[in-house]
Amino acid sequence: MSSSHEAKRKYADLDPIFNPKSVAILGATDKPGKVGHAIMQNYIDVGFSGSLYPININTTGSIMGHEAYRSILDVKAKIDMAVISVPALAVPKVMDECGKAHVKGVVVVSGGFAEIGETKLQDKLVTISRKYNMPMIGPNCLGVMDIRARNDTLFLPTFKIDKPKIGGVSFVSQSGSVGSTTLDLISGAGFGLSRFISYGNAAVVDEVDILKYLSHDIHTQVIVFYMEGVKRGEEFVEVAKTATMLKPVVIIKAGSTEAGAGAAHSHTASLAGSYEAYDAVFRQYGFVRAADTDDLLDFAKIFDTQPLATGNRIAVITNGGGHGVLATDAIYHNGLTLPQLTKKTERILRKAMPPTVTIRMPLDIGGDADSARFENALDAISSDPGVDALMVITLFQTPGADDKVAESIIGYGAKREKPVVVVSMGGSYTKSHIEVMENSGIPVYSSTTAAARSLAALIGYARYRNTK
Amino acid sequence: MNGLLDYKKANALMARYGIKSVGSAYLKNPEDAIEFSGGKPIVLKALTQKALHKTKSGLVMLNLSGSREIRNGFTKLTKKASRYGPYTILGQHMVKGGLEIILGGNVDKQFGKMVLLGLGGIYVEAFRDFALRLCPITRYDANSMIDQLRSHSVVAPNPRQREMLVNLLMAVSKLFSDNDIAELDLNPVILHDGTYDVVDIRILK
Repeated sequence: MSSSHEAKRKYADLDPIFNPKSVAILGATDKPGKVGHAIMQNYIDVGFSGSLYPININTTGSIMGHEAYRSILDVKAKIDMAVISVPALAVPKVMDECGKAHVKGVVVVSGGFAEIGETKLQDKLVTISRKYNMPMIGPNCLGVMDIRARNDTLFLPTFKIDKPKIGGVSFVSQSGSVGSTTLDLISGAGFGLSRFISYGNAAVVDEVDILKYLSHDIHTQVIVFYMEGVKRGEEFVEVAKTATMLKPVVIIKAGSTEAGAGAAHSHTASLAGSYEAYDAVFRQYGFVRAADTDDLLDFAKIFDTQPLATGNRIAVITNGGGHGVLATDAIYHNGLTLPQLTKKTERILRKAMPPTVTIRMPLDIGGDADSARFENALDAISSDPGVDALMVITLFQTPGADDKVAESIIGYGAKREKPVVVVSMGGSYTKSHIEVMENSGIPVYSSTTAAARSLAALIGYARYRNTK
Repeated sequence: MNGLLDYKKANALMARYGIKSVGSAYLKNPEDAIEFSGGKPIVLKALTQKALHKTKSGLVMLNLSGSREIRNGFTKLTKKASRYGPYTILGQHMVKGGLEIILGGNVDKQFGKMVLLGLGGIYVEAFRDFALRLCPITRYDANSMIDQLRSHSVVAPNPRQREMLVNLLMAVSKLFSDNDIAELDLNPVILHDGTYDVVDIRILK
């Protein structure tokens, strides 16, 4: 009975957890260095605009300048969400009080549950969550960050981690450490964050709930997922079928090298290990598979900023010959091709380019190329019907390349007709231009390989959407 | 898991799903074998519950023709097989040449039944050129499995062979989905002359 009930249980509503009007922090304290202090400090630092209620059984009435309570039941106002950071053994009691206080969702930051073998203690939390129909994230997790709502349960000191800007990418990480490091990197990665969630032991809210919620979330355009495994395989597949048709889901599964479990009886069983099964499901249901965390950021960036394209003919414009050759290799290695320009495009280019420029793919417009030459090349090539996407290699070390070139590329990118990626690498002068381009929605990569991989991811996903 | 499904039952099950395997018969003695051969080369296999990898255990004798060769082969094989306990001898017509592929099924503990297509034969584990999908598969899935193989241009060199493989994959997926089977190996399946022959079947209940 209980298993069929489990299978049919409704998906968790995570709105009150991401976007609460009022938050209680259980375990808040004045003592610096404690997790409950860091969480409280974060809510104050990010400027959470709702009501904040620090709860601590030992309080004398005030914590960090806020009126404090010995129990959540002492608070007379309505509370949407509670962050629980008290010792593991005390969690069931305070969580039950949350239920009695009609809290709409809890984040249990505390560790000391299934991850160290305390499954019975964790089961108590599951029972309480079900009893009050109160979704629980965790235990043993960082919780959520929602930059729009200025809601941040992370206990990482704010000065140690850069805050990403607001955007359309939501990032899900089972692991707290992968979550926090990637979050720190996202702030400099050229795209904005919508929601972040680290869900730890996934005792109640798991990957199925999260994928379902984010797939229907209007603030989420791209989902990025770091997972160690799913708990409900069949339901995950059901939710995935819809989710990947609505928006790209970039995914990485840890544990690709795990040893096979036991001796297999057949060739098939010996080949089809657990990782291979995950990989197969990801392919079959339209996930964008990332090989590492670099891929996660690279892919998120192109999906967040560029239109989808199903064709694989990538035009290359470069102001450096060597990188043009590298780009060609990277393009073909990733199952993409260079286009054959039409006669018309060739004629236009021949007129617009100096005689030193050879009209062919990749188009090397020369180290002296200025913004006018970049613009002419972009115009002619992007209008060619045989071109599906563009890779523009912009080396700012050259005499002709300056802020005007960056502007020309931004100007083309604003039209969003065909996907464009820029490859640019270098020191401080280059970095300042990369920042300007990325802030304007142009994905910039530091290698032709990363650029080609990202284009291949975009095109592969677009084809899945198109043929399914 | 209760063990290996009897070869004849496995064969009959496959036939119900339109999967054709190479002509075969159980043989009691060398005379049976000679009669079964009908003057054409045959393969003799000893089937036991103990030795799951027949080739590795030396329980397969390939390409026997003529009554003397068949008689000698039969005697040798029974001697080897007796070391593994009870056995039966299966005769099959010899399929010469062609490309060996593997089709299979496995129950993943997280996702459930999955089908496999790969470059086959005894080197499957060495090449590791295979694709997996969750059951039941669509024709889109079957095509994408073929495309995923590094050896796709050899396995499906033309549209006709691709179509044949897609149909075969769909049949295997259906067979596996419909029945209470833990593991399934069709290995090798030999592709030759625009058709295929399932040469070895292993179904674990």
